[in-house]
Amino acid sequence: MIDPEDVVEPEWVEWYGMTPLERLEASERLWEQYLSMGGSLDPEPDTQSPFFDPEAPPAVPADGRAGMRVVRRGGV
Amino acid sequence: MGGQACVLYGAAEFSRDLDLALLIEPENLRRLDAVLDELDAHSIAVPPFDTQYLARGHAVHFRCQHSDVRGLRIDVMSKLRGVDDFPSLWSRRTVLQTEDGVEFNLLSLADLVKAKKTQRDKDWPMIRRLMEAHYFQSRLSPREGHLQFWLLELRTPELLIEIANDHKALAKDVANARPLLRFASAGDLPSLTAAVEDEERLERERDRLYWEPLKRELAQLRRRR
Repeated sequence: MIDPEDVVEPEWVEWYGMTPLERLEASERLWEQYLSMGGSLDPEPDTQSPFFDPEAPPAVPADGRAGMRVVRRGGV
Repeated sequence: MGGQACVLYGAAEFSRDLDLALLIEPENLRRLDAVLDELDAHSIAVPPFDTQYLARGHAVHFRCQHSDVRGLRIDVMSKLRGVDDFPSLWSRRTVLQTEDGVEFNLLSLADLVKAKKTQRDKDWPMIRRLMEAHYFQSRLSPREGHLQFWLLELRTPELLIEIANDHKALAKDVANARPLLRFASAGDLPSLTAAVEDEERLERERDRLYWEPLKRELAQLRRRR
C-alpha cells in the first residue's frame, strides 16, 4: 500500500490528515496573518480565466492602504 | 464552490475571491441582493447583473466596499461547464457544520472536480490534491462507488496503478470510460503519466472551445460599455 509520504510532500500529508474544521481554522489563521501584514483582498488578475478583462480597472483601496510593498530588493 | 470548498475537502488554495453557484429563482435573487447590499458590493466588468447572462453560463462579478471586506471579489454563476444543472448539484451537495452551527453548503466532491477541469493552470494541481485527500482519507473503508470514482478521477499515476492492481476487474470495466487505465493495469508508469497529461491537455482544450462564444459575447459587451 502506497503511503501518502510516497507521493506528496510532508506538509501535504499533514494537511490531508486534518479534519475539514481543522483545515478551515488553519486557513483562517493564514488569512489573519496575511491581512495583518497589509495583504489585500482584491485578487490579482487571472489572465487564464475566460472572465479576464484586460481593460478592467484594478480596485483602488478606498482607505489608501497600499498592502504589502517591497522595502528593499536583493540583487540577482 | 471554489477555493473555500477546496480547503474544506482537503486541498489548499489561498483564494482571494468567493465563488457562488446560484439557482436563478426570485427568492434567491432577492437574498443575493440583500447580501450584496450588506457587503456594499457592486457589479464590476461585464456582463451586467442580469439573469439572462447567468442562464447562458456567464459569471457576474462583484467587488465589495464594506470596510470588513474591502476589495473582496465575489463571482456568481448559475451554470458550469461539464456539470449537471443546479437542482442536481444542490441535491448532491455536501453540508458541513461547525460546532457553533455555521453551515457550509458545498458542491459534492465529484461535482467540484468536474467543475475544476478548466483551461487554467492552477485548477489541475487542485484536482490532484482533492482526489489524493479523498483517497487517503477513505481508502481503508471505501464506500460504494468510491473505487470507481477514484479510477475515474485520480490524477496521481502511482495511486491509479495501486487501485488497478488491487481491483483488476473493476479497472478493466472503468477503462472503457477512461482508456488510460489500461496503462495503470499494466503497471506502465511512464505511459500512464504521459496519458494523464494528455487527458489534461484535451480537457483544457474542451474548456477553451466551450468559452469561445461566451468570450466573443463578453468582448462585444466591453466594446459597448
